[in-house]
Amino acid sequence: MAEAEIPIVKRSLFSWIFPGNLKYQLLLLLIIVIMVFARVLPLEMQKRIVNEAINLRNIDLLFRYCGLYLAAVVLASGLKYLTAVFSTLIAQTTTARMRKELYRHILTLPLSFFRDTQPGTVVNALSTELTLPGNFAGIAVASPVTNILTLLAFAGYLFWLNPLLAGVSLSIYPLVLFLIPVLQRGVNRANKRRVDAARKFSARVAESISGIHEIHGNGAYRIESRKYDKLVDRLLRIRIAWSLYRFGVKGVNNFFTGLGPFLVFILGGYLTIKGQLELGALVAFLSAQEKLYDPWKELIEFYQVYQDASVNYKKTTQFFDVQSDYALEPRDREPFELDGSLEVKDLSFVTDSGIRLLDGINLSLKAGEHLALVGFSGSGKSTLALCIGQLYKYTSGSVMIGDREVSALTKKDMVNNMGIVAQSPFIFDGSIEENILYSCQALANGNEQPSKDGVPTLDDIIATLHQTGIFVDILRFGLNAFLNHDKNEDLVEVIIRVRKNFQRDYGADLADYVEFFDEDKYLYYSSVDENLTFGTPNKEQFTEANLCKNEYFLKFLDQADLTRPLLSLGINLCRQTVDILGNLPPDAVFFKQSPIRAEELDEFKVMAMNLKKKKLHQLEAQDRRRLLDLALRYIPGVHKMVGLSEILETLILEGRALFREKITADDPDAFSFYQASEYIYSQTILNNIFFGKTKTSSSQAQERIDQSIIQLLIEEDLLEAIIEIGMHFEVGSKGDKLSGGQQQKLAIARVFLKAPRLLIMDEATSALDNKSQARIQNLLETRWKKKSTVVSVVHRLDTIKNYDKVAVMKAGKILEVGTYDELMSRKGALYELVGK
Amino acid sequence: MSSLENNSVPASEFQQNLTLLRQIYFFSGLPLETLKVFAYLCTREKFRAREFIFRQQEDDGQAFYILEGQAQLERTVEGQTTTVRSCEIGEFIGGLTLLGDRRRLFSLKAVTETTCLVLNREKFNKTMEQFPNLMIKICKAVAQRIDTWEQRFLADRVDQCGECLPMLGVTLI
Repeated sequence: MAEAEIPIVKRSLFSWIFPGNLKYQLLLLLIIVIMVFARVLPLEMQKRIVNEAINLRNIDLLFRYCGLYLAAVVLASGLKYLTAVFSTLIAQTTTARMRKELYRHILTLPLSFFRDTQPGTVVNALSTELTLPGNFAGIAVASPVTNILTLLAFAGYLFWLNPLLAGVSLSIYPLVLFLIPVLQRGVNRANKRRVDAARKFSARVAESISGIHEIHGNGAYRIESRKYDKLVDRLLRIRIAWSLYRFGVKGVNNFFTGLGPFLVFILGGYLTIKGQLELGALVAFLSAQEKLYDPWKELIEFYQVYQDASVNYKKTTQFFDVQSDYALEPRDREPFELDGSLEVKDLSFVTDSGIRLLDGINLSLKAGEHLALVGFSGSGKSTLALCIGQLYKYTSGSVMIGDREVSALTKKDMVNNMGIVAQSPFIFDGSIEENILYSCQALANGNEQPSKDGVPTLDDIIATLHQTGIFVDILRFGLNAFLNHDKNEDLVEVIIRVRKNFQRDYGADLADYVEFFDEDKYLYYSSVDENLTFGTPNKEQFTEANLCKNEYFLKFLDQADLTRPLLSLGINLCRQTVDILGNLPPDAVFFKQSPIRAEELDEFKVMAMNLKKKKLHQLEAQDRRRLLDLALRYIPGVHKMVGLSEILETLILEGRALFREKITADDPDAFSFYQASEYIYSQTILNNIFFGKTKTSSSQAQERIDQSIIQLLIEEDLLEAIIEIGMHFEVGSKGDKLSGGQQQKLAIARVFLKAPRLLIMDEATSALDNKSQARIQNLLETRWKKKSTVVSVVHRLDTIKNYDKVAVMKAGKILEVGTYDELMSRKGALYELVGK
Repeated sequence: MSSLENNSVPASEFQQNLTLLRQIYFFSGLPLETLKVFAYLCTREKFRAREFIFRQQEDDGQAFYILEGQAQLERTVEGQTTTVRSCEIGEFIGGLTLLGDRRRLFSLKAVTETTCLVLNREKFNKTMEQFPNLMIKICKAVAQRIDTWEQRFLADRVDQCGECLPMLGVTLI
């Protein structure tokens, strides 16, 4: 595959037309030739129908020619459809290939490229800008060949009928051929100006809206309007010119093609009257003349697509035409197995603008030694670590890992030998398990097809989870999961047992932190619908999502005098929540305490606007349902923007009794009411163990609860089962359902699991609490010393005592290197930094 | 409808929090839009008597406002614990903790059952990311607070300082 060697940014637009599409394109050519023949045939039939069949009054001939005519029309239409199918196939597969290749290329670009590039630009290039070039590849053969062949065929036929007439009527086209590109250039110019002006225009509007305070404050309405008016007027002028040019192209084209029949009538009519041309030939001539118009129009459209496509393609490829700093894989050898020793000599890193971030760094580590880099922020610690890890390309000096120069190594060499935990690690959308295995899988799969080799066992994973301290977090995710009726029967029984033991051993001690389910009390940490039904729905129509559409339930709310107060609660919740969260991004931190979910916010914003104009009784049925739904989700202990009135509380408690009475009589199987002896499938595993819900988010309470639960789970040998459930927890886009600490622990776990020979940690524990940090430090010292070389950028100085070497950095230079004790007794830079 | 919507509903916890935050120096300079988000994100935590609200040497990343009860500030050096002072209702503790990672130099222990309004660093940071130009207001409020503290110290206590005199001048950092 020779073409795979050339990166997409060096390929021309034309290189996409045949390679990879050859079969389709050849097939397309064949279809086109047959199709053109099928298009010309009706003309000849037309002539013969008039001249032979009608003139000679021969019915048989009429049927035969009409039959042939029909067959040709059917064939031509069918083939036309087929060419469209093939063109689409080619266009879509080419676009897909362009997207894949461009993405593969973009991923390998140096980090410096992404500092200056907005993600939106990349998304745009991959999604929209490649569509047109792909479409071009689809029609690059089909359109010109079809239309030129058709034109030639029709023109040939015309000449065959009557050379003089043909010559005269075709004489228009050269003129059009000259005029159209001239006008098109005008269109293009105006179009570019239009895009620029529109951009300025929207920037101005955006500015005014965001500065509306200032405009109001100064009463500067007129000034702003004048600025805006000017831009609108300019846009107006440009748009008029643009439209005029465009219509000019169409108009000229229409005029000249319309002129064709006129010439045929005047000259052909004269010749026919004089008896020099048969009437049938004149009819055929007129039809053929007419048919010239379509291919001609399509050719001009093709010309426009070509122009636009090549502009887009060039713009895109030029933008991403940046050299990647390193080769991805070695060509003629296996990736190196490096021994982990590190030698840094005279290393400097100068930015493009000439700032010296690293200046003459010298360092040396034996394989298995641990180095701490310390210093104020901005001293160059991270830069040094990233240069060693090949993420930054140093500008002079040398970094040798296992006696090999880092700048000469391929990415694959580095990945096989090094692991890095970044300052703000990136967690990808997917399960915890997928994220934990990320580094290992990348290592095992390299650039080939995915495989299962080299994936650690569950035991290995669990060991790493323990070591990095993310075990408890994952346990929590597991405990917060829901069990399934059919799948988890064994587990359910054990959990009921754990529930009893929990009540016996910890019930009294944890009563402050847990609100136990109690039939006679309002549950402040449960939703209104849970308070009303106090049970798990067994039927689809009674699930939380369907409750508001359920006529039976709505009727019950009416009977219990709850409809209006709940609607009013819904309105209040909607108003308050939108008021607080209206302009915030969909981050889990902001929506944890909100009854409105992040994805619903826009919808409720509109609702809140409507509520300003309408009274409760004026609301539409659909809006009432949404508000009722919101009210039913309300949990007073969590959603603090609105208080729960005593009246409503009493009404709901009375409603609970009424509901149970009614539903037991009407549909006894609809609900399983909360009972201490039954598993509650609508509640999490943890709530089932509690037979209640947690009241607090305080970390101390959380810890106390965790300890008792772990104890209970160990007694029942349930720990591993819950961890496995927790491993399937979906972390959300960018891991936003995890806290900063959890993200960091996950990032450390995935690198520890890979166990690289050189480990770079760039403030890898900055978001961790004390205990987790100490645990990881301890792990580095006991398990990793002498096995892996560690370069650790450290921000907390109390963890560095046991490092083999400590290097203190300031303004891109190393001030001193030595063991902690040496440096402290020297009373130099480290001593000052520690501040003792 | 109006009776349920307005009068009989007690002020929500959110509204109470908002009133409190407007009285705390750290937040009071912020516009209402931002304060509302903080008032919404704050939680209330109850601590039992003798329970630690935070411990020396740990970075719990939280700021506290004492709503009920009483707590005391302690410092432990080489196993010896000294009570520094007591903290009463209405006291705000830990503003600096919100601004960056730091370990506690003191412990805070509940003397009686104590309820606090709590805001943690993650919530604070995520919110401030939405209002980046307000960070300067918070910095100014903190700088002002430190300045006031030292002025008062110089005016009232400097004569009792003795050997600590050379350590004066925290406002010069």
